[in-house]
Amino acid sequence: MAHKLMKRTLLALGLCAAGFSITGCDGVSVGVGYGYDPFYDSMLWNDYYHDVNVNVDVNRPVRPDRPINPDRPRPPDGKPPVRPQPPIAKPPARPRPPVARPPVARPPIHRPGPRR
Amino acid sequence: MRINMRSMLAPCIAALMGLATPTVADTPVTYTDSGKALFQFEVPDFWTLRVGGPREIEDSAVGDTRGVARVMGMRPVTDDNVWIGFVSPTGVSSIEGGIRYLQDIDKFLVKDPQVSGSSKATIGGLPAQVIRGTGRRDGRGINFTATVIDLPGNRVAVAVAILRDGADPAYVNDLNDIFGSFRSAR
Repeated sequence: MAHKLMKRTLLALGLCAAGFSITGCDGVSVGVGYGYDPFYDSMLWNDYYHDVNVNVDVNRPVRPDRPINPDRPRPPDGKPPVRPQPPIAKPPARPRPPVARPPVARPPIHRPGPRR
Repeated sequence: MRINMRSMLAPCIAALMGLATPTVADTPVTYTDSGKALFQFEVPDFWTLRVGGPREIEDSAVGDTRGVARVMGMRPVTDDNVWIGFVSPTGVSSIEGGIRYLQDIDKFLVKDPQVSGSSKATIGGLPAQVIRGTGRRDGRGINFTATVIDLPGNRVAVAVAILRDGADPAYVNDLNDIFGSFRSAR
């Protein structure tokens, strides 16, 4: 009995481990995307704009100021601007089928009978 | 029924030209910064392009933010051993500055980089510096080619091309075609 239980536990644990190891191949992200993209992600990192002077490089030029976003343009007062028509139109509402489903002619076979 | 030969000539020539011309199906892409076009290149067929955009990334260990310009990354659809990325960092105006910028990103891209050569080149009619070398990444050897291209208007384009060991060498032609199609947008 104990032997059987141990065998089953081992099987369950093994399946769990297998499941994890298979899903591990999928990478970090789930669904549509690039997943693990080591070079792209690394190219985002740079120490050029690093604001903490950990390793002061005397020859380094002064860091440029970050561009300040100009005030967002405001739409003219009064009438709101006409919304541009997107090239892809909304699909029309689903038409109701002209033929209705006929009522069920017979009662289901396995309907529980009234309590006697 | 008489067929007017002269009117048939033009479609025949068009059909012949369509057969004769090599397949020019590459996709031109323009790198922009704040709405201004900086440079263009062509994405080879069956390559995937990741556009990205300007943003700030925070170093969670230190808590400071650093600006990141748009990074455009490309790789063949069926092979992730090949990669090329373009970036035009703000405030970097010369090839020397671009090399300094590269020195500030290389440790994130490549472990133990060994530069095997650095040479001057002309890419798209613009002066450029090409740095070649090898290194390691995720336990695998890689070949890298870092390029700084001097753009007009006090900007540079930094390109990093990476071939992991085991990559199909035929992709080198695709990578060189990308550089061959490189043009300044101004």
